Amino acid sequence: MSFIRLSFKLKEVFFVNKFIRVNMETLEVTVGTVPEKYAGLGGRALTSNFVNDEVKPTCHPLGKNNKVIIAPGLLSGTTAPNSGRLSVGAKSPLTGTIKESNTGGSSSQMLAKMGIKALVIEGMPKEDKFYIIKVTMDGVTIEEAPSQILGGCGNYEAIKVLNEKYGNHVGMALTGPAGEYRLPSANISFKDPDGNIRSAGRGGLGAVLGSKKVKGIVIDSTGASSVPIADPEKFKAASKVFAKALLDHPVAGQGLAAYGTDVLVNILNEAGGLPANNFTAGRIDHNDNISGETMNATITERGGEGKVSHGCHKGCIIRCSQWYPDKQGKYITSGFEYETIWGLGADGGIKDLDIIAYIDRAMDDVGVDSIETAVAVATAMDGGLIPWGDGEAVLKIVQEMAKPTPLARIIASGTSVVGKVCGLFRVPVVKDQGIPAYDPRSVKGIGLTYATTTMGADHTAGYCISGNILKVGADIDPLKKEGQVEYARAMQIGTAAIDSSGMCLFVYFGIADNPGGYQALIDMINAQYGLELTADDLDTLGKAVLKVEKDFNTRAGFTNHHDRLPEFMEYEPLPPHNEVWNFTPEEIDEVWNF
Amino acid sequence: MTKSGTFDPMTDEKKQLEIRGFLQLDAFLKKKYGTMPVFYEIDGPITGIELAKELGIKREDIEVIFVNGFVQEVNYTLNPGDRMAFLPPGCPGPYRIALGFYGKNQDNAANFKIQRKDSK
Ligand code: SF4
Repeated sequence: MSFIRLSFKLKEVFFVNKFIRVNMETLEVTVGTVPEKYAGLGGRALTSNFVNDEVKPTCHPLGKNNKVIIAPGLLSGTTAPNSGRLSVGAKSPLTGTIKESNTGGSSSQMLAKMGIKALVIEGMPKEDKFYIIKVTMDGVTIEEAPSQILGGCGNYEAIKVLNEKYGNHVGMALTGPAGEYRLPSANISFKDPDGNIRSAGRGGLGAVLGSKKVKGIVIDSTGASSVPIADPEKFKAASKVFAKALLDHPVAGQGLAAYGTDVLVNILNEAGGLPANNFTAGRIDHNDNISGETMNATITERGGEGKVSHGCHKGCIIRCSQWYPDKQGKYITSGFEYETIWGLGADGGIKDLDIIAYIDRAMDDVGVDSIETAVAVATAMDGGLIPWGDGEAVLKIVQEMAKPTPLARIIASGTSVVGKVCGLFRVPVVKDQGIPAYDPRSVKGIGLTYATTTMGADHTAGYCISGNILKVGADIDPLKKEGQVEYARAMQIGTAAIDSSGMCLFVYFGIADNPGGYQALIDMINAQYGLELTADDLDTLGKAVLKVEKDFNTRAGFTNHHDRLPEFMEYEPLPPHNEVWNFTPEEIDEVWNF
Repeated sequence: MTKSGTFDPMTDEKKQLEIRGFLQLDAFLKKKYGTMPVFYEIDGPITGIELAKELGIKREDIEVIFVNGFVQEVNYTLNPGDRMAFLPPGCPGPYRIALGFYGKNQDNAANFKIQRKDSK
């Protein structure tokens, strides 16, 4: 292995607000302070502004003009609970739109403590070699990737190899085998504090990193100090209020901590909004096999390495993750999310939670988005490429994404490609991204978010609403149109703001039901940066982020006509409520009227 | 037929409720009745609160109920033949708004201290 370049000494140059650019064409690194126009931005606000400023909207996402930016949120690296989310931005090879995908793991807090506001990766190497970018307090190096982690080596093994090389304490972002092959569902996999895997899942950003021949980013924060806080006393007080708001809320204590996000299987099933058999039904009979309640009982009964509750990064006090073990109690997977289990279990009809867990592990190992893959699998089942409910067949295909075989390539190319290959009209995508686990025909507000978000169909794009407009929620009936436009608009604005803070979206529950909690979030940002922001300022930030993203998409060729749900939802009623999608184009476009 | 047990559609359909419990009530009902869903005979209309009392479910363990696929407030009246479910506090996500919880839990001070629409 050859050492390529040691470009600078970080400690001597800057201590905070570092803005690092890694040029993969020249294999040079430059570091500067964060440009003035990005001061005060973090997370999604920073990544989306940067992509809009510097990425040619019409560029090929896998070509040399695309850029990847990685940015911790505003509060990352502090002691604020649940503040360890990291945003990754680029033009998406799956959707062709701007993309922000965020993740847990250790990297966000490490980068923030090292004073790094953003790491940008641009250009493409001339040579067909994969590299590791190593970021330490002493400098940034670009090294050739060890050969044993290339050409199909899974992420679990790659983490082991890199741990041995760089030490267990380092943080990591990895391009898995799917990313090396630049498949459109490829994610970026991040090491969590236990050496397991979290993902910046949606939109194929792993393929972009793969196109730049970056196999991994290794972050060693040894020697980093704590994040500077302008008013430590105020910060501490606000953080205490915020933590209490989260912990007092039943979602943290009774819901997510015990049952994970998979608690939603039974709830959406009962509401008739759990898409099944490639979006042809809204309810299944085998919900008990795959529910969060069953997952909890199974983990508890099996014991061993199983844990019902676990945090994806240090400082998470909600702990929605878990370690799901096999029958002998040995760890299979963690971060075993509702959307994955829904996609394979309800939409694809796989009735065995264990086989779904093995598929989840395999998806993490090859580095593909578990939502896109699950929706693509169900679509492929509808198209006759895979037998309905055949978990073993799906597991084999996902494992083959490491080679990859032609069928594995097709599935990892996402739902839209699978729909075309199979000659289907029932293809559940918006802007070529698979629709997740909530059917828009029976949960209409979420449908408006799927249609209008800048990201392609994405439930997390409409997750948070600011405390001062909560009253919108009181009038919502899931099957009626009233209030839904306001709901989808407010949720997307709130989410864009929270995604910029470095906070996990699940803090939303504590702060939405408790206005004091929302104020505490703002107070923490104010105390850290010496600001006087109000709830209205956060709203303004959220709106600005959305408009920047929309601007990129417009310049990339997207129009209002792309803000539409798939047509089949307008004429195929969804049992049990037998509803169709009935918003007019003009009504949908109103979401953007702000 | 006892008050709860296996569903016989030929004889029981009109007199029974089909009951589910979510979160901790899933384990509670499975333990108590050995099955999920529970088919439970009623003589006539009954409210969610009354039913909960009969089943030994604590009031504070219910945020809203589902009735035939729709979210309802806890004192909503159930009729024989209905499919219903008890949902404790703890459902995450924007679904708390999108499914209509916020319109149905406003008398339920034990769960979420949000302001009533008419209290402003
Ligand atoms: S609540 Fe879940 S997703 Fe959020 S930080 Fe904790 S473990 Fe990660």
